[in-house]
Amino acid sequence: MGNCLKRSTTDDISLLRGSDSVRESSSDQLGQPYQEPIPAEDVSPVYYPSPSVSRSVVQLTEEEQVKIAKRIGLIQNLPIGTYDGCKKERECVICMVEFLVGDTVRCLPCMHTYHMKCIDGWLMRSLTCPSCLEPVDAALLTSYETT
Amino acid sequence: MSEPQSALLLRKQLAELNKNPVEGFSAGLIDDNDIYRWEVLIIGPPDTLYEGGFFKCHLYFPKEYPLKPPKMKFITEIWHPNIDKNGDVCISILHEPGDDKFGYEKASERWLPVHTVETILISVISMLADPNDESPANVDAAKEWREHYSEFKRKVARCVRKSQEEC
Ligand SMILES: [Zn+2]
Ligand SMILES: [Zn+2]
Repeated sequence: MGNCLKRSTTDDISLLRGSDSVRESSSDQLGQPYQEPIPAEDVSPVYYPSPSVSRSVVQLTEEEQVKIAKRIGLIQNLPIGTYDGCKKERECVICMVEFLVGDTVRCLPCMHTYHMKCIDGWLMRSLTCPSCLEPVDAALLTSYETT
Repeated sequence: MSEPQSALLLRKQLAELNKNPVEGFSAGLIDDNDIYRWEVLIIGPPDTLYEGGFFKCHLYFPKEYPLKPPKMKFITEIWHPNIDKNGDVCISILHEPGDDKFGYEKASERWLPVHTVETILISVISMLADPNDESPANVDAAKEWREHYSEFKRKVARCVRKSQEEC
């Protein structure tokens, strides 16, 4: 332990959504459009070279930039789907809201499914499934090697 | 104005805890207008040194909840290896994940976005029953717990008595 340090950071995972062709984020629960985090004018995005280390983009070393780019690449390659009402899971366990038909969801290799907007922020911090703790990257890397 | 997801999620948990209270603690808000700051009363778990005590705690949730864990503080004085002398609780599930490169095996002990007020309180209550002295937040309490158990018991008993008077 010994990790009770005070830290304050802001989130910005907008990069993840930057070039996504699937951007149906308007179909949010409760019908509210999902709000992209809007960074204040003088605040650059904060990234997590390690989940517990946060830096703004200008402070990142080259090595950390590569690491984050890889992470974003991994996440973007996880399948995205649209909830069609016939999956076994009915609720996103991160926000505890039931999936609505048309919600954009991301499916991890372990088959656990979450709202894309809920899981992506977590995966930037930790590449593990919050439900079963299966590491996301190892599974993904091996599935790449076989294809 | 629409509420952020974290506020909706906390509101949902509060409603659920009011409807179906969980044994061992009761939960509410410090200020009804601030969903991010909770006040919890922990009932000292039976068959532990803390039995009979009533411990008031505060939980402070960040706006990024559930991606980031809340902080937890005992307001009632308590003597425990994993609670520092200011009352701040130091347990691994309230810590953000470490570098996950080689850390999978530890991930289960760290913060996860599926944790709720209920699962946090269950962990804290089990910590009261079963201190972890590997990385104590209160070094003196940990030392006593290991080496001078009778003195440790005496201090805890005093906190329990005091907590009953404050109630
Ligand atoms: Zn969700
Ligand atoms: Zn899973």
